[in-house]
Amino acid sequence: MKSDRHLFSAEAIVAMQKAVRNKDFNSFKEYSGIINDRARGLNTLRGLFKFKKGHPVALDEVEPVEDIVKRFTTGAMSYGSISREAHETIAIAMNRLGGRSNSGEGGEDEARYPLDSDGSDRKSHTKQIASGRFGVNAAYLANCNELQIKMAQGAKPGEGGQLPGHKVNEEIARVRFTTPGVMLISPPPHHDIYSIEDLSQLIFDLKNANPDARVSVKLVSEVGVGTVAAGVAKGKADMVLISGGDGGTGASPLSSIKYAGTWWELGLAETQQVLVMNKLRSRIRVQTDGQLKTGRDVAIATLLGAEEYGFGSAALVSLGCVMMRACHTNACPVGVATQNPELRKRFTGKPEHLMNFMCFIAEELRGIMAELGFRKLDDMIGRVDMLEVDKAVDHYKAKGLDFSKVLMPPERVDGEPLRCTSQQEHDFSLSLDPELVEACKPAIEKGESLSLDRKIRNCNRSVGATLSYNVTKKYGSEGLPEDTITVNFDGSAGQSFGAFLTKGITFRLKGESNDYFGKGLSGGRLILQPPLDSTFSGFRNIITGNVNLFGASGGEAFINGMAGERFCVRNSGATAVVEGVGDHGCEYMTGGTAVILGPTGVNFAAGMSGGVAYVYDENQLFDTRCNLEMVDIEPIVGEKDIIRLKILVQRHTGYTDSLVGGRILESWEESLPSFVKVMPIEYRKALEKIRERETQNTETTAITEEVFV
Amino acid sequence: MGKTNGFLEYRRTELKYREVDKRLNDYDEVTIDKSIEELVEQGGRCMECGTPFCHIIGCPIINLIPEWNDAIWRGQWKEAYERLEITNNFPEFTGRVCPAPCETSCTLSINDAPVTIKQNERAIIEKAFDEGWVIPRPPKADTGKSVAVIGSGPAGMAASQQLRRAGHAVTLFEKNRKIGGLLRYGIPDFKLEKNVIDRRLEQLTAEGVLFETGVTVGEDISIRYLRDKFDAILFTMGAGEPRDLPVPGRELDGIHYAMDYLGQSNRRVANEPFEERELSARGKTVLVIGGGDTGSDCVGTARRQGAKVVYQYEIMPKPMIWDKPWNPSWPEWPQILRTSSSHKEGCERDWNVETLSFEGKNGTVSKGHFRFIEWLPGGKGTRPSMEAVEGSEFSLEVDLVLLAMGFVHVEHGRAVTDPAVELDGRGNIKADDYRSSVDGIFTAGDANTGASLVVRALNHGRLAAESIHDWLMG
Repeated sequence: MKSDRHLFSAEAIVAMQKAVRNKDFNSFKEYSGIINDRARGLNTLRGLFKFKKGHPVALDEVEPVEDIVKRFTTGAMSYGSISREAHETIAIAMNRLGGRSNSGEGGEDEARYPLDSDGSDRKSHTKQIASGRFGVNAAYLANCNELQIKMAQGAKPGEGGQLPGHKVNEEIARVRFTTPGVMLISPPPHHDIYSIEDLSQLIFDLKNANPDARVSVKLVSEVGVGTVAAGVAKGKADMVLISGGDGGTGASPLSSIKYAGTWWELGLAETQQVLVMNKLRSRIRVQTDGQLKTGRDVAIATLLGAEEYGFGSAALVSLGCVMMRACHTNACPVGVATQNPELRKRFTGKPEHLMNFMCFIAEELRGIMAELGFRKLDDMIGRVDMLEVDKAVDHYKAKGLDFSKVLMPPERVDGEPLRCTSQQEHDFSLSLDPELVEACKPAIEKGESLSLDRKIRNCNRSVGATLSYNVTKKYGSEGLPEDTITVNFDGSAGQSFGAFLTKGITFRLKGESNDYFGKGLSGGRLILQPPLDSTFSGFRNIITGNVNLFGASGGEAFINGMAGERFCVRNSGATAVVEGVGDHGCEYMTGGTAVILGPTGVNFAAGMSGGVAYVYDENQLFDTRCNLEMVDIEPIVGEKDIIRLKILVQRHTGYTDSLVGGRILESWEESLPSFVKVMPIEYRKALEKIRERETQNTETTAITEEVFV
Repeated sequence: MGKTNGFLEYRRTELKYREVDKRLNDYDEVTIDKSIEELVEQGGRCMECGTPFCHIIGCPIINLIPEWNDAIWRGQWKEAYERLEITNNFPEFTGRVCPAPCETSCTLSINDAPVTIKQNERAIIEKAFDEGWVIPRPPKADTGKSVAVIGSGPAGMAASQQLRRAGHAVTLFEKNRKIGGLLRYGIPDFKLEKNVIDRRLEQLTAEGVLFETGVTVGEDISIRYLRDKFDAILFTMGAGEPRDLPVPGRELDGIHYAMDYLGQSNRRVANEPFEERELSARGKTVLVIGGGDTGSDCVGTARRQGAKVVYQYEIMPKPMIWDKPWNPSWPEWPQILRTSSSHKEGCERDWNVETLSFEGKNGTVSKGHFRFIEWLPGGKGTRPSMEAVEGSEFSLEVDLVLLAMGFVHVEHGRAVTDPAVELDGRGNIKADDYRSSVDGIFTAGDANTGASLVVRALNHGRLAAESIHDWLMG
């Protein structure tokens, strides 16, 4: 009887944990021996490669471990998929090494941003921005040194993630700005990225939201990924990550784990070739990940063209993961991938364990470098000529494989280097923010209220992002008191107007706006109305482009006029009033409120699991346009709902001089029956549960008080 | 996949034993059988790990443990048996006498009490026998090849069954009167009742395995003859050569090897005649030297025979006392103090004791002389060394001394010396993929590896059968 073959065998897990716990390099050698042997056992492509003979140098001439580990990162594993203990241990370890840990797409508790009393840094220095934008707000973006746009995930490229409701406890819900107990869906695409230009815009947004952080883009290895990487380089990302298709997660569908995505060896080789041949390599760094486990793996990645390396499963194993492959059940018995407090107590990982793992990998890599004759890792990057196919691998399936295209050194036009040697030139010449930040100094530094008037043109993009960054750096997500900064814009705003605008800032725009109005709104207020001298009626015309308020987590927007498609997608806390929307309104919404005072497009509320929408359904056609898979449509009868709605319409009319709003308020009693409320089914259940618990709590308190009185 | 969070909901339930004063009156099994129905929740505690350490690292025969645990939880007893039968020929033996390395490597053993794997295994097979699911599986066609298996312990029995099922004509040779090896003549009935073996032998008989008992190969029948009559020979005669204690007075009467003592006791319990002089602990002060399982079996047997008092001395240090449910050296076998059911029946144990000499009256042992030693940790690559504790000498009046200090290697009888199979450094039969140095002669189990567990012997027997099959069928 022979057992199934996995790259991570039981023996390897045991050997590695012994190595990192006892700081025992010999045990580690045993571990990497098992892994490399399995790799050569035709589990991986790199198992078919071997190093060519180099001119060895002395080991002590090779770059030290401390420098090498700075290039190491951990995989994007969200707080939510793994426990708080595991997530913070990883962060502390990687920060001590000078590498980076990755937040994953689950937000981060703000309590982790300041340093601990012992100097430990518990925040993830790579913050991921994924399609769901869970927990992405101005503070999240401001507290890191790398912002990573996840275009796809190795274990499930082209698919969104799902966090089952039972794993969404109160704390997870809090950092993700969602409701406890409600399942969370990450949509497959980013709703603000439908082309490489959109991606470039998001890179620009992020660069503005944190000018001190580099921006990276995560892609999954597949045929043609080199072309996408070239676009990423031209879109001015500072780093591109080529993620292998065999990246692990216990929470992906089996079909995706097994059959989707290709291996990083192929994608990395293609990326390197395309970037070098197109003279783009010098300005962008390349990272790879996907089942990297040993120094040999890293050496091969380096020769194929990577300068940074990510470790996911292996990092978790060093902290006690025993590859249960039960991450989705919330029943992880070692406290790694669970939110159950009982099981979290069983977590025994220490930052030192992960640090030892990383140092051992680096040490192994140094050995290979010495053998091949590389003193500096920089000299080794892209030296694919040092790799060859291992003829000794004897298997009938390996016979027909042709690696000549993978192991081909690219043509180097004008002596294009094989690694990143310069930096992207980001053009902020048309940004309004540097001047705004200067003008707002009294507000930011002393909290003085001020009001400014500015002209705006459609080439002025991402206005407000850097201003919010400066406020957030000082005040956190609490921001400034309401209306401390008011800026009155006049004109046609460029893309991402008011992106990530934080609390205490109000932008009032008279004119019109392009796409991504209020992207990631983080507590600020946006008011949009047509110019006073306009001759058309606001509510019949589109005043702002597509994808408004995508991923907004707080704040308010009042829009006198109609918005384009995908309005309020992935809104998790903002309140918005608008006079009509295109298709896919409120898709994947998890929180906040949307009031639509006019017609909607089709597929409204698809995948909506939280928040509420009120729609003024004058023509009684809304039920044909709403996606009823996850929501109910109900009349508005509750006292609270009526008051809330009325106040919002009143404020909307007050801020924007809305004609529609005015008319509805004039005949409020008659208009009210035309409103419907869109209520997510799961959300209602969760709210009821929360309310029940609250009542119980107050009852117990009362009894106790009585006893004590 | 068991029950999600089942391990948090249900506690592990330990095996129950009959009361000491009752069980000392007989040689029946000391454990109280649990029915499978009582173990449903225990099956639910299994987490069906993605990396099942019990199955890969713990179990030498790679039992499909998570699968049958899950079947138990779902109430699919027959499915559980079918999954168990795939890897284990004799779960009724391992379910009783295996030290269960599966449980110490169970993922739950990292920080919790492991799943009751051994109890589950035993319950599954008992249910299977009760329900009549254990049926002979004779081969569909005969290959025309024949194999002689020498030695009918667990390795020989497993190999015989596997070879027979593959279609070969198998004759299993045994020097004793009955089949079973140490299962029958080593392990006392209170741990493994012998009808458990008989029940299984019915199946082997029905499948067509031939038994030749009371035949000592090499003495009563020559290897040359066997090689002539059979296509292949498999040596599974165990590692029967006991480790001796070369001290002054060793030759005195009343000092015996544990296996001689236990074998005779088992024969007596089974009403099997024996020729040697009767050995009994009745009314005696008994000293067992050696702290392993055999020593423990001697203790339990001596207690049942009515020993006045039983001492057990071990030369190694006392292992760590560990009362937590988890395994401190997961997934490896922990070196912790173990107290067997026999120890609980009354025995004084001591460790770090070196035996210096025995003295006797009228040629029979009456007193032993001992001293305490201390173990000094060895340097890199060297073994720890021992040093006498000054002034610690003491003596003990004894009537019966049983030497249970392990086994050194396979017995070098004519079966081994006649064909001149190559031996390894420790004196066991050397083998590569179970092939000895002599073409056509194979070896498995303790005869090849030195003394080890029943479950390892089982595994060896199965793999050797595969190797022989490949060799025979070319």
